[in-house]
Amino acid sequence: MTATDRIPVTVLTGYLGAGKTTLLNRILSENHGRKYAVIVNEFGEIGIDNDLIVDADEEVFEMNNGCICCTVRGDLIRIIEGLMKRKGAFDAIVIETTGLADPAPVAQTFFVDDDVRARASLDAIVTVVDARHVLARLEDSHEAEEQIAFADVILLNKTDLVSEQELEEVRQRVRSINGQARLHETRNCVVPLDEVLERGAFDLDRILEIEPNFLSEDDHEHDDAITSVSLKSDAALRPELFMPWLRQLTAEQGQNILRLKGVLAFWGEDQRYVVQGVHMLLDGDHQRDWRPEEPRTSRMVFIGRNLDPEALQRGFESCAVRAS
Amino acid sequence: MRGARELMATLANEMALVHRHGRHILLDGEPTAILWLGATAAVTLGNGSVCWIEDGAEPSACAVHAGAILSACRDPAGAGVVTGGDDGAVRRVLPDGGVEELGRFERGWVEHLVSSPASGLLVAGIGREAVVWTRGATEPSHRYAVGSTIGGLALDGKGKRLGIAHYNGATLVYASTPSSGRLALNWIGSQLACTLSPDGRYLITALQETGLHGWQLPELRDMRMSGYAAKTRSFSWDRRAKWLATSGDARAILWPFEGKTGPMGKAPLLLAERKGALVTRVAFHPRDDVLAVGYSDGTMLLVRPADDRTLLLDDGGAYITALAWSDDGARLGWGDEDGRIGILDMEARA
Repeated sequence: MTATDRIPVTVLTGYLGAGKTTLLNRILSENHGRKYAVIVNEFGEIGIDNDLIVDADEEVFEMNNGCICCTVRGDLIRIIEGLMKRKGAFDAIVIETTGLADPAPVAQTFFVDDDVRARASLDAIVTVVDARHVLARLEDSHEAEEQIAFADVILLNKTDLVSEQELEEVRQRVRSINGQARLHETRNCVVPLDEVLERGAFDLDRILEIEPNFLSEDDHEHDDAITSVSLKSDAALRPELFMPWLRQLTAEQGQNILRLKGVLAFWGEDQRYVVQGVHMLLDGDHQRDWRPEEPRTSRMVFIGRNLDPEALQRGFESCAVRAS
Repeated sequence: MRGARELMATLANEMALVHRHGRHILLDGEPTAILWLGATAAVTLGNGSVCWIEDGAEPSACAVHAGAILSACRDPAGAGVVTGGDDGAVRRVLPDGGVEELGRFERGWVEHLVSSPASGLLVAGIGREAVVWTRGATEPSHRYAVGSTIGGLALDGKGKRLGIAHYNGATLVYASTPSSGRLALNWIGSQLACTLSPDGRYLITALQETGLHGWQLPELRDMRMSGYAAKTRSFSWDRRAKWLATSGDARAILWPFEGKTGPMGKAPLLLAERKGALVTRVAFHPRDDVLAVGYSDGTMLLVRPADDRTLLLDDGGAYITALAWSDDGARLGWGDEDGRIGILDMEARA
């Protein structure tokens, strides 16, 4: 089975009342000719109109594999396996998580379980953020911050309920947590669905558009705030240096690294190498040839707590081929 | 060059035993189980139907569930099969097309079904509950709740002791007794498919992390059986319960259960290796020392454990999802994920 045969999975997260179910119903009702299997939490109250709805019970299991922060959603492993027996009944899967869900086990499920990986691929984590309440939520909820940190796509929703000044403050705060996600400002989650669904490969190209931005000290609101660090190297990387560096980094700091993504130019290779990770779990592969006009720049983004931008950049650069 | 390759492929196909002693049938749906009632095979499918296959007759399918059939076993009385669906229904299906509902569990998935002709018990696993039907019951008799979703169910040879695998261990009960005492078997991690030895002395579970965990009863001695490339989903005891065959690697892995301590400190037999493929289903012949092995690349082999000699049954198909011998061992049925069913009939000659 090739990667293109895998069923794309979109994960919807967001704090209670942010508008997840509104977005889900929009996905299901718009006439796009796609059939979705929807996995919802069993305690969900608002009606969802779809042929194929499965109740999840958010069973988070620790993997007994020596990786200290490796948790998976056992229910998702079972449900995805069961759904696959209905061949042709759906084209894509949407998972709606509860407002208090930690996104890490959901994402890690798609890295850890070989049977899930063979059949389904995590297309994007979409986080719906309530522009009016998010700043308060970030003060009192660990999960609200992690949901933003894990996102590939962020819908900054209910923008009509805040002033332009408040909106700018929210924008800044969200960006300081996650500098790489695509950010859409919406009312009632009105967004073109192709900006949300089936983005492909975790929307990796997005990170190529981000310039490295080192945060100044006053950006830190508190010590364990989540931040993004972008790295860049114009010199090609040596895979025999880069791979051990990344493995050691994630082994040592994996608990603090929520997500990482990279598009890399390896010395002597004509194909782009893409890598992504959740905590200590890494997944990398050659993707496609570099285009002739494309600058062969390697970029990485780390999102996490207590990240040291200078040390990361130094480590990254030390994997590059030196100009002689 | 192309012609030669095609010729080779044709020759290879003709060498497979199914072409001389059996047949293929194409069905519309992924087979989730094959069960034999005498010489008649019932194939349960991902499209919710059950297809009956008999000698000299066209296969006949009947719609049973609204969604996929996730689990199936023989009716304890032997008259038909029992199926569990992702529509939350448990139904008894008879070869004449009759369908009877035994239970309905709103918004639940019936992921596991086991039965025993000896005790007459039927047990379904739905979420965190093991639901029991006593002999002849047409609605649930009683149920046992466990702390997390059930990963697998198993009955011993007498059909009385029930093993329930779940997160962080397994639970043993005497399933005919609603107020049965419980024996908690603890082991870290998510426990999936499980099997009880026919004498009830060993419970073996498959782990999410791959590998097996076992408990020897009544001492509750722990056993670890590791070294698998993938999760084990298929277990089969040989007719004397000397060997437990397991799936989940490029080879069929057989653990020795002779003697007082079972496989502890002993090496397993590694049989019928196919590099680059995984064993997905195993089934011991009911009367002979022969193991049928199905692989992820669609290959089907028979292997003799004594000398690892193999015989090609079938090839050219897809991931084998279902496999079973008839009780007399005269017939073997298998199915792959694309809906191709193979029937080996040792009495037939093409």
